Amino acid sequence: MGASKLSGMQKQVLSLYRGFLRAARSKPIEDRKRIEMIVSTEFRHNSKEVDRKNFQYIEYLLRLGTKQLDQLKSPDIISLSSVKVVASKT
Amino acid sequence: MAFGLIGRVVGTKPSRLSTAARLIPARWTSTGSEAQSKASSGGGGENLKTFQIYRWNPDNPGKPELQDYKIDLKDCGPMVLDALIKIKNEMDPSLTFRRSCREGICGSCAMNIDGCNGLACLTKIECGSKETTITPLPHMFVIKDLVVDMTNFYNQYKSIEPWLKRKTPASVPGKEILQSKKDRAKLDGMYECILCACCSTSCPSYWWNPESYLGPAALLHANRWISDSRDEYTKERLEAIDDEFKLYRCHTILNCARACPKGLNPGKQITHIKQLQQSG
Repeated sequence: MGASKLSGMQKQVLSLYRGFLRAARSKPIEDRKRIEMIVSTEFRHNSKEVDRKNFQYIEYLLRLGTKQLDQLKSPDIISLSSVKVVASKT
Repeated sequence: MAFGLIGRVVGTKPSRLSTAARLIPARWTSTGSEAQSKASSGGGGENLKTFQIYRWNPDNPGKPELQDYKIDLKDCGPMVLDALIKIKNEMDPSLTFRRSCREGICGSCAMNIDGCNGLACLTKIECGSKETTITPLPHMFVIKDLVVDMTNFYNQYKSIEPWLKRKTPASVPGKEILQSKKDRAKLDGMYECILCACCSTSCPSYWWNPESYLGPAALLHANRWISDSRDEYTKERLEAIDDEFKLYRCHTILNCARACPKGLNPGKQITHIKQLQQSG
């Protein structure tokens, strides 16, 4: 992790990640682990795959993440789940 | 059946296209029974028009591009929405856009056609061989192709509290609150707004301050509730928008009146609010 100054966009991504972890804390313990697992794999995957200069896509992902976080914060929502889709050739 | 297969093959072309890329003309893809029965459209008498449509896919994110599609106008309805649906059905199923009523009342298909905001279902395709450029509403975050993120717009509409608020109960409880014809006529020109966002996204002031300036649509609705004789919170409504940013970013550019597909004049309603603020 770079110890040098983080750009504004990097700070936004980190604060979104922190927001997800904080929201996970308010859920029951099993769901909390699942949320943390899903969120961390998603963020790590994107940090490797997405080009640092692709601002449009990063902003799109940030907006998407903020909306999902707002939904997660609501007390009615208890957990996240994720499904892996493999495109078949047929 | 074969017709559908041909469509899918065309759709699997790589999404990164050079600017000069053209898709196979409509004639080739419609070798199915429908086109052959229309003997006149084959060969002579064909009227091809090129549509340049903004494409951006969040699943394969790269730079957004303008993709060309050729449509035979003889085979297509008169409106831009007809062309978009024809492209989606026959040429490229991955083209994404919002639509619902196809008659200019729902406001879903608002987009920028040849530089002007409007509803695709109400904008006629311009005859002639010039290319038509279709892009999403300007200065809005794009979710995919022609679909934009309207949450900020809707939140601003919500913030002006667009419902009837009264301090005293109705004079005849359980019955309608009465209103004279003259008072009802004051609402004409405001109640017809369909929240398509064409006006707000054509306002340069809204482009530069989308979060703080409410925009012509929300202010039009604010005036609709301020002018409603049945509503008793007029003073509070005026005070709520009496703000440097919420109201006074309007500099009477009047792009909103030009863009409105329903022929409304939000600029005029905003002037009315400003006058009330002055006098009140």
